[in-house]
Amino acid sequence: MYQYDTLDKEMLADRSAEFRGQVARRLSGELSEDQFKPLRLMNGLYLQLHAYMLRVAIPYGSLNPAQLRKLAWIGRTYDKGYGHFTTRTNLQFHWIKLADTPDILDHLASVDMHAIQTSGNCIRNTTTDPYAGATAEEVDDPRVWAEAIRQWSTFHPEFSFLPRKFKIAITAAPKDRTAARVHDIGLVLKRARDGALGFEVIVGGGMGRTPYVGPTIKEFLPVNRLLSYLEAILRVYNRHGRRDNIYKARIKILVAALGKDEFARQVEAEWAKIDQDAGEGGADLPDTELARIRGAFATATFETLPAVSEAFEAAKASTPAFARFVRNNVKPHKKPGYGIVEISLKGIGDTPGDATSEQMEAVADLAERYGQDDIRVTHEQNLVLPHVRLDDIPAVWAALAEAGIATANINLVSDIIACPGLDYCALANARAIPIAQHIAEKFRDQDRAEKVGELKIKISGCINACGHHHVGHIGILGVDKKGEEFYQLTLGGSGAEDASLGSILGPALPYDRVAGAVDTLVDVYLRERRDGERFLDTFRRTGVAPFKEAVYADAH
Amino acid sequence: MKALTANRLTDGEVVFWKDGRWIERFADAQLWASDDPAALEAEGRGKAQPLVVVDAYLIDLVEAEGFWAPVSYRERIRALGPTNHLHHGKQAEGGAAIEALQHASGAARSTGRVNLIKRK
Repeated sequence: MYQYDTLDKEMLADRSAEFRGQVARRLSGELSEDQFKPLRLMNGLYLQLHAYMLRVAIPYGSLNPAQLRKLAWIGRTYDKGYGHFTTRTNLQFHWIKLADTPDILDHLASVDMHAIQTSGNCIRNTTTDPYAGATAEEVDDPRVWAEAIRQWSTFHPEFSFLPRKFKIAITAAPKDRTAARVHDIGLVLKRARDGALGFEVIVGGGMGRTPYVGPTIKEFLPVNRLLSYLEAILRVYNRHGRRDNIYKARIKILVAALGKDEFARQVEAEWAKIDQDAGEGGADLPDTELARIRGAFATATFETLPAVSEAFEAAKASTPAFARFVRNNVKPHKKPGYGIVEISLKGIGDTPGDATSEQMEAVADLAERYGQDDIRVTHEQNLVLPHVRLDDIPAVWAALAEAGIATANINLVSDIIACPGLDYCALANARAIPIAQHIAEKFRDQDRAEKVGELKIKISGCINACGHHHVGHIGILGVDKKGEEFYQLTLGGSGAEDASLGSILGPALPYDRVAGAVDTLVDVYLRERRDGERFLDTFRRTGVAPFKEAVYADAH
Repeated sequence: MKALTANRLTDGEVVFWKDGRWIERFADAQLWASDDPAALEAEGRGKAQPLVVVDAYLIDLVEAEGFWAPVSYRERIRALGPTNHLHHGKQAEGGAAIEALQHASGAARSTGRVNLIKRK
C-alpha cells in the first residue's frame, strides 16, 4: 500500500494544526459559518441531521490492521462505537462533535490517514478492484496505478476547484468490480498481443440526476502515459465544464454535449500541448518512480502449497454452514492453496456497510494473524481479506462468526448497497437503510437466497444516487411524492463489465410495499429463468413486461 | 403550530428554541400558532446566535395522539434519531412524547428543509 515519507507526515500534521486553528476561530466567532463551511468540507466534515459526519479517506480501499484498529478506536472514543463503509470505499463517522475533530484528524494522521479530498469539487478517492494483487484474472496490479493517481491528484493545485467533484476507478480484470463505466473516468487495464500494458479510457459515465454509461475515448493508452493523459482530460473539463449549473457540471454532461469524438479530439490536442511544454523530461512519472511504487505493493509472500487443502475440504464436508460460506464468500486466489475471503457487512437486519468497533478489531486481528496485514474495502460496502491460506479459512470463518460478520451472502439478494438516506443525510428524500433491512428479512432463508443466485439490489435515498440505484439489477430510488416516502424501482441495471442503466418498472411504490414488490420480482424471475440465467439475464431476455404485470397486478 | 429548530454548533445536536435559549428535547420546545408573529421574531433571535447554533429555521407541526409533532418526516427523524438504530439519538430516552412522535404521520417536506438544500 501507500507509504508516507517524512514530508507526507509533516504535511498531514500541518493540515491538522491548520484545521485546529480554523475550528478555534469558528468557535470564537472570528469565522462565520459561511466562511468556515468550505474549510470544514475540505477536511471531510459535513453537518448532517443529528450531528457532524466525518468522511475518512481510504485510498483505493486499502487498509492495514493498525489503521483499521485506529478507525475502531475513533468509533468507540468519538462516535457511538461503529463506522459506516461507503460506496467510495471510504468510512464515515456519523456522530462527530466539531470540537473533537482536530484531535480525530491527529489520530488519523498517526496511522497515515486523513479526510482530505473526501468532499468538494476535487478529485476524490480513486477506487480499484478489492481483489487486486490476489486474483488470477488481472493483467497487472491496478493499485500501482491507483497509487500513482493518489500522489498526482492529492493537493493538485490545478484541479482543486473543478466544476464539480471527480471520481476515477481502475480495474485490471475482465470482471469489473469497480463500476468503472459509470465513473467520471474509468480505466480498464489491458495487455496487448505484444505484451504491452495499456488502459482503455472511459470518460463521462456517471449516475446522479442524469446517468450515463461512459463512452470509450481511447482504446489503448500506454500505461506509462497515464498521468499526462489524465491531466489533458481534466484540463478540457476544467476549461469547458458547466460552472453555472450544478446539475450540469459533471464531466458526463460535457462529454454528452460535445460528443465523445469531439471530446476525445480536444483531449488529444491538449495532450500534445502538454508533451510539447514538458520537453525532454516528459510529463509522466519516470519509470524509476513507478518501480518504487510497484515495490511497495510486492509485500505479500506466498508459500508453495498444494492446490487442495485437506483441512479446508474436511471442514466443508463436516460443517454445512462453513460450506455455504465458502460457496458464497471465498473466491479463487492466483496462488494455489490460498483464497480471497470476502466479509459481508450485510447481516440480515443490520445496516449495510456498518461495522462496530469490535468487528473492525476482529477483522484487523484476522488480517494480522492469517491475512498478511492486508484488508480491502469494496464499493459494495463489504470487506476483503485478499490473501488467506485455505488451511486457515475455517479458523477465519469461526472468528468472523463469533464477531457476527460471517453472513454467507456475497452477491446474493441480501448483499444490498444502501446509502445512509433520510436516517442521516441532509440531502435525502427518503430512507434507504430500513428498505434494505426489510428486503433482507424476506430472504433470511439462505437456501432460497442461494437458489435465486446473483442479484444486486442498490438503494438510494435521493437522486444523487450514492446508493448506485441506476446500476442495480433491481434499483430502488427514494422519492418525495405528495409529502410521503415513495420508491421508484428500476430493473436491468449493471455496474459491471456489462454496464447498463436500469429501466423504470412503473409508478413509485409506498414504503411498506417495496420489500413485497422485490419478493414478487424474484418470484417472476424464478418462474421465467432458463438454465444458468441470473436475474439480470432473464430480465434482458424477457423485458420488463412480466415483472411489471406481477408487481402492479393489484392495480388492474 | 410552529417550532424553531437548529443544530448546535459545537456538536451538531438537534436543538429547539424555548424562551430565549436552545434545549434538546422537542417535547419541551416553545410552540407558536402558525400566524403568531412571535415565531418569526424568535427565528430572527435564533439566527442571531451564530456561536450557538447553525441553520435556525421554523418547522410546521401537526397534532398526533394529543401531542404536537413535526409535519415533515425529516423533522421527526431529527427529533427522534435514526430509524435503524433506535437506541441512538433522542429516542433512546423513550416515554409517551417520543412514542407519539414515532407514530405521527404527515407530509415529508417543510420549508425549513428546502432552505437547507439551498444552503448545501
